[in-house]
Amino acid sequence: MTPAPFAPPALEPAAHRGPRLGRGLVGLVAVVGLAFVLDVALGPVRIPLPTVARLLLGHGAAADAATDFIVHQIRLPKALTALVAGSGLAVSGLQMQTLFRNPLAGPSALGLTAGAGLGVALVMLAGGNVASALAVRQLGLAGSWTLVLAATAGAALVMALVLALAARVRDNVVLLIVGLMVASVTGAIVSLWQYFSAPEQIQEYLLWTFGALGGVTGPHLAVLATVVGAGIGLALASAKPLNALLLGENYARSLGLPVRRSRTLIILSTSLLAGSVTAFCGPIGFVGLAVPHLTRALLGTADHRILLPGACLLGAALVLGCDCLAQLPGSQLTLPINVVTSLLGAPVVLWVVLRRPRRSAA
Amino acid sequence: MPQLSLPPGRAGGAFFSFLPRPRGWVLGLLLASHLAGAGQPRPAQRGAVAPPSRPATITGRTTVRYAKGFTISYAGNYKVITVQSPFEPKAPAVRYLLVPRGAARPAGYPGAQVIETPLRSLVGLSSMHVALADFLEADDLVVGVGSFKYVSAARVRQRIAAGQVYEVGQGKELNNELLVAHHPDLVMTTGWPGEGADYFQTLRAAGIPVLINSEWVETTPLARAEWVKVLAALLNKEDLVNQKFDAVAREYQRLAALAQRAPRRPGVVVGLPFKDVWYVPDADSYMAQFLRDAGATYHWDHTKAPSGSLALSFEAVAPVALTAEYWLQTGSLTTKAALLAQDARYAAFAPVKAGRVFNNNRRTNAQGSNDYWESGAMHPDLILADLLRILHPKLLPTGPLSYYQALR
Repeated sequence: MTPAPFAPPALEPAAHRGPRLGRGLVGLVAVVGLAFVLDVALGPVRIPLPTVARLLLGHGAAADAATDFIVHQIRLPKALTALVAGSGLAVSGLQMQTLFRNPLAGPSALGLTAGAGLGVALVMLAGGNVASALAVRQLGLAGSWTLVLAATAGAALVMALVLALAARVRDNVVLLIVGLMVASVTGAIVSLWQYFSAPEQIQEYLLWTFGALGGVTGPHLAVLATVVGAGIGLALASAKPLNALLLGENYARSLGLPVRRSRTLIILSTSLLAGSVTAFCGPIGFVGLAVPHLTRALLGTADHRILLPGACLLGAALVLGCDCLAQLPGSQLTLPINVVTSLLGAPVVLWVVLRRPRRSAA
Repeated sequence: MPQLSLPPGRAGGAFFSFLPRPRGWVLGLLLASHLAGAGQPRPAQRGAVAPPSRPATITGRTTVRYAKGFTISYAGNYKVITVQSPFEPKAPAVRYLLVPRGAARPAGYPGAQVIETPLRSLVGLSSMHVALADFLEADDLVVGVGSFKYVSAARVRQRIAAGQVYEVGQGKELNNELLVAHHPDLVMTTGWPGEGADYFQTLRAAGIPVLINSEWVETTPLARAEWVKVLAALLNKEDLVNQKFDAVAREYQRLAALAQRAPRRPGVVVGLPFKDVWYVPDADSYMAQFLRDAGATYHWDHTKAPSGSLALSFEAVAPVALTAEYWLQTGSLTTKAALLAQDARYAAFAPVKAGRVFNNNRRTNAQGSNDYWESGAMHPDLILADLLRILHPKLLPTGPLSYYQALR
């Protein structure tokens, strides 16, 4: 095994740090709650905080129908989507970084988002096929399942491909380059489809690529929450294998871990999370990459039993916070969420790269 | 999908070149572009075929009354067309010298492109350019188009079927080799005045004149349609354009005057949101002018944006949509079921409850191309009549709509 540039902090007995970590997680829950309320309270249309609080708690209706509609039909679903998308992306990023033992692994860096995009494009563009085009335009429940399935399959395909190459290529930098190339090839395929598709379908796809938390309501939100819930459940069940994998596959095997099966479960979970979130919200950059690092720094542990819920909460808080920022104060305009997460996430990645300059020579 | 205030011309031309840039207004353009299109054959409006060539002297003159983006002046045996951006009055105007075929280039006018008249062949990159030729009964002029998909004019479709038209693509995908090989008399493109100077260097070096048609920057429907006078000047068809365009303008003014007598001005919301964003026409867009002239109340009638459309959050438009009387131009949708399938929340909007959702895609052909963006650009009178019939059913005698249809 060649030395990996990604050396995780040693696992410490949980008993030592239990109370502090517990407090950390409780604090994160409070932050998520605050960000959630703030996200619902802020928006282009000014609604007083007491009114928002009253509506959120379900005490009586708003003075006018518009306020009621905005809080219940627009802001609440959007905040819930932010919550679900943030946790899903963060957990998927954390699993990838551990699985690949690479600090720069993340849904977009390794081409997972591109793979999901390929799936979405397959459904949306589908060479002008009337039946499939209709299924998307009328994103009924069946349509949204199709979309999730296609995006997840696309993400899983790329993930499996990268992983298969990872088994042969031990160099992490090469692996990242492989991921980028896979993303590049899928991007080219999508471009080719776009070129031969009706502009209307392209437009739909193009709008999707900007990323948006809004518009995921009712049954769509239920589908997204179910799939992300399942993905996070799988991830939590894989906490122990993930801990073992931190120390290398051979070591994990020597501990009696069924590496192959654990790997499959982790891939499935990661693809479900990245795929479903990407299917509904479009590519949301840097959350999956940056949040695991922030979580490790904040909680000071490498134990996935703590890290996974931590990343889940921090991811939710971060995306909720970004969504608050996306609603420019005093403006009737909302920035695409992808823009805000990327603006905030890129410096984090820079920080990750710059704080380990020595290791690049290794 | 987003709003429809931006003309297909811009969309068509800018689409591929802007593809990678996530700029909000591009969406509006995209939208507009794919709605560009054809439709049912229009009532025959062509008389005898015009004589193939005309005397090389100027037979008629036309004056520009509505459009701000171009001027036509006459001097000796040649004409000068100046294309200017109303948005950027300081940007250098682009000049074209229209010289009778075989005549010497007039002195002066450094940097101006020379186009020999009358034009014998035209490549139009946007469907709007096809509409210009069709309006001037010069369909046979069209030898190339940006994309076959977006052609509606029946005569040009026939020419395409007969293999008499080539497809050159748009933006970065513009097939320069094909154009150089065919060497048309003129390539008409969309874009900002001045932008083409670098962009079309290859064609200019090959001696193919490129004319930028920026009709999409005009702020009124009549001003947009008036760009047909540019092509008329190139064809020496000033007499015809004066007669036909004046008829359209007169009818438009008559209808607009009629609408101002309506007892009330119903509230209207325009466009189709996509998730968080709802593009609506701004105060300076020709769509806002249509709504003003049709006697509608439009919430953003005084809000200006540089791009011609406002990118608003869904939440900012929803309160207006909740109480509006009419909802116009809902993307490519034709049924209420499809509308609600896209977002169930639309069911709360008053126009949806009352069945007053109208889309401008009645004339969408088998390729999915919408003639509203093609012949509609030349027939603001018909579009205004549609709007009057929708918004003020008692003002005009009942009759079929031309471009609009109610969502079923």
